[in-house]
Amino acid sequence: MFCIVAAVVLSILGIFSAANRRLAKEALDCVFRRITFRPCNTGFDEKMKAKILGKMINRSEGTARFLNKNFEVLAWIFFVLMLVSSVFLVRSLYLFYTTGSCNGANDAGFCVFDPTGEHNETSSTAEGACPVPANITDEGGGLTLNGVDLNLWPVKNTESEDQFIFIGCYSCDYTRKVYPDIRRLVDEFQPEFFFGEYPTKLKTDYLSRIGYCVYNQDQEKYWHMNDAFFAQDIAFLEDVSATHAILTNLGLDADDIEACAAEPETEEEVQNLFEEIRNTNFYGTPTIFINGEPLVGPKPFRVYAIQLEGLFYWLK
Amino acid sequence: MATHDYRIDFPILNPQNNDKPIIYLDTACQSLRPRQVIEAMNRYYTKFPACSGRSNHQLAATVTRLMDEARQQMARFLGASRMEEIVFTRNTTEAINLVANAYDFQTGDTVLIGGKEHNSNLIPWQMLVKRRGIHLKILPPLSDGSFDLPGFEQAISGGVKLVSFGYTSNLDGVTLPVEQIIKLAHKRGALVMLDAAQAAPQRKVNVRALDVDFLALSGHKILGPSGTGVLYGKYKLLDAMNPFMVGGDTVATSTYETCEFLPVPEKYEAGLQDYAGVIGLGEAARYLQAVGFDAIQKQELLLNKIMTEGTIDMQGLHLIGPADPALRSGIFTFYIDGIDSHRIALMLDQMANICVRSGQHCVHSWFNANGIKGSVRASAYFYNTEEEAELFVENLIKIRKVL
Repeated sequence: MFCIVAAVVLSILGIFSAANRRLAKEALDCVFRRITFRPCNTGFDEKMKAKILGKMINRSEGTARFLNKNFEVLAWIFFVLMLVSSVFLVRSLYLFYTTGSCNGANDAGFCVFDPTGEHNETSSTAEGACPVPANITDEGGGLTLNGVDLNLWPVKNTESEDQFIFIGCYSCDYTRKVYPDIRRLVDEFQPEFFFGEYPTKLKTDYLSRIGYCVYNQDQEKYWHMNDAFFAQDIAFLEDVSATHAILTNLGLDADDIEACAAEPETEEEVQNLFEEIRNTNFYGTPTIFINGEPLVGPKPFRVYAIQLEGLFYWLK
Repeated sequence: MATHDYRIDFPILNPQNNDKPIIYLDTACQSLRPRQVIEAMNRYYTKFPACSGRSNHQLAATVTRLMDEARQQMARFLGASRMEEIVFTRNTTEAINLVANAYDFQTGDTVLIGGKEHNSNLIPWQMLVKRRGIHLKILPPLSDGSFDLPGFEQAISGGVKLVSFGYTSNLDGVTLPVEQIIKLAHKRGALVMLDAAQAAPQRKVNVRALDVDFLALSGHKILGPSGTGVLYGKYKLLDAMNPFMVGGDTVATSTYETCEFLPVPEKYEAGLQDYAGVIGLGEAARYLQAVGFDAIQKQELLLNKIMTEGTIDMQGLHLIGPADPALRSGIFTFYIDGIDSHRIALMLDQMANICVRSGQHCVHSWFNANGIKGSVRASAYFYNTEEEAELFVENLIKIRKVL
């Protein structure tokens, strides 16, 4: 058993050191002989045992005696632990690949492949222009589309079988971070794409009303407007004149749009949309539902692609 | 001058050169080299790195002179009557192979060897059994490892061509009564070859006084460089034999059909020689003679006594060879029931940087015949101290307690 544990550990260490590479080779040879029911003739296990005991005996004779007596049992324990941790490692790798988190979708627990937890970061909505209700926790379990009326949401590619619902805000860092990937995804895979803009900063909440008016006036230009807002420097989003210029550049009547945005009916419709967005129980942006599966935080492109097209999306 | 005062000459034993003090108890495998030997070799490479005997320039002349001096030195070291009786080889193994292959053994000739010979003095004869149809007779030692003289007398009575024994055993350090062996063998018309690899480092060998016919030794066991060795042979015998390896430097001239061999010893030294090594070997012999064999034996006995007496009561420890340390030179070989010998050696190394040999020490035949898996061999030399021997015992006791 010791050979197997040592072969794995030394193979990993061997990546960095030539001395360990030689030992790893001996250990692998030993493993090969053992699994073919032959005795290990490299003396590897003896050698390693002697080295360990030799180091230990100078520190504590009792511990060395215990180690010597229970070496095989300890080797078995380490083997089982290694097996279990290997299973967890493979599971973590799989989950990281498919959900962007070692612990499963939207679980913000520590992940060695994403040590800063970047893939689960969200912009808080708690103190924004439209704070979400305080009873919604950030565990992710409550995220749902049940009872959510999508008729109020801007949408494109309505004929697609796949559904992609994106909740974000123009001025949120993580929404801005993930937006280029989502744009690429929508272009490549053409899912039915809903965008729920939920402002988290008071000074940019007017953009929601602008967006509502633009969408009602020209749906195609609405998506171009989104591109422009996400490309715009975040500081200028609060600047009404900069927004005016964007609208003008898109060939829209900016004065007309601004007038529409100022109407009470617009505010009412936008609030209705916010209400529907809140009905998803989301707690931060970006939040995305792909065919009903919620994903919170800026995930890598592959995670969204896998949800839409399966594990081997890149083959399609 | 006390023997361990010479420690300063051995770079690896000098604390300034080694942050991890080494306790070297593996001299039976290979001795350490004093700086005088290293410097002699360095001088060759830095000052006159040329061929000996071939070219005529000043560098070549220096090398030729130093090679002759080294041969002369080795002749004095062994008490040979003339320097031509000294053939430089790579080691003892090559020297024995030279005799086995160059001497005119015929089908049916008998070669007698001991029961605990190093593979170097076993395998060449086994090959002759296959290739030339000789008979190989083995004379087992007595149960305490000592030589079976009556058995020997009986063994040579049947007509033996050559007797080849290890002078001092690398397994248990037992030295054979070679004077009696040689006399008895010669009386029966047998030639005698001695493998003096372990004897030469620790006792004065005088080939003329012994009247031995061939004697082989290794440079690396007498403080000399590795890859050097000597075959001593009586001139008459060497002259009569045909060379084993031939080629460059073995012939005076050649035609497309034939060649004229050089006299002894050149005809046995084919190809370009290890000049630096041979010069170093000469220096090693000089150094060893300066230390003196009486002092060496005295120190070896002192150290072996400490090791033997310190472990005499150790449970499960079996000493290989006679109980009396005086009969085992500096060698202390043992095994402990139920404990792998390699494990003990590795642990000694890990615990206190004690370097010992473990396994079957190239005497597989003896271990296989006796059903013993392996052993640990601690071999002390004049540069070892009493403190080192005590540390060896102390750590061995610790290992025994834990394993």
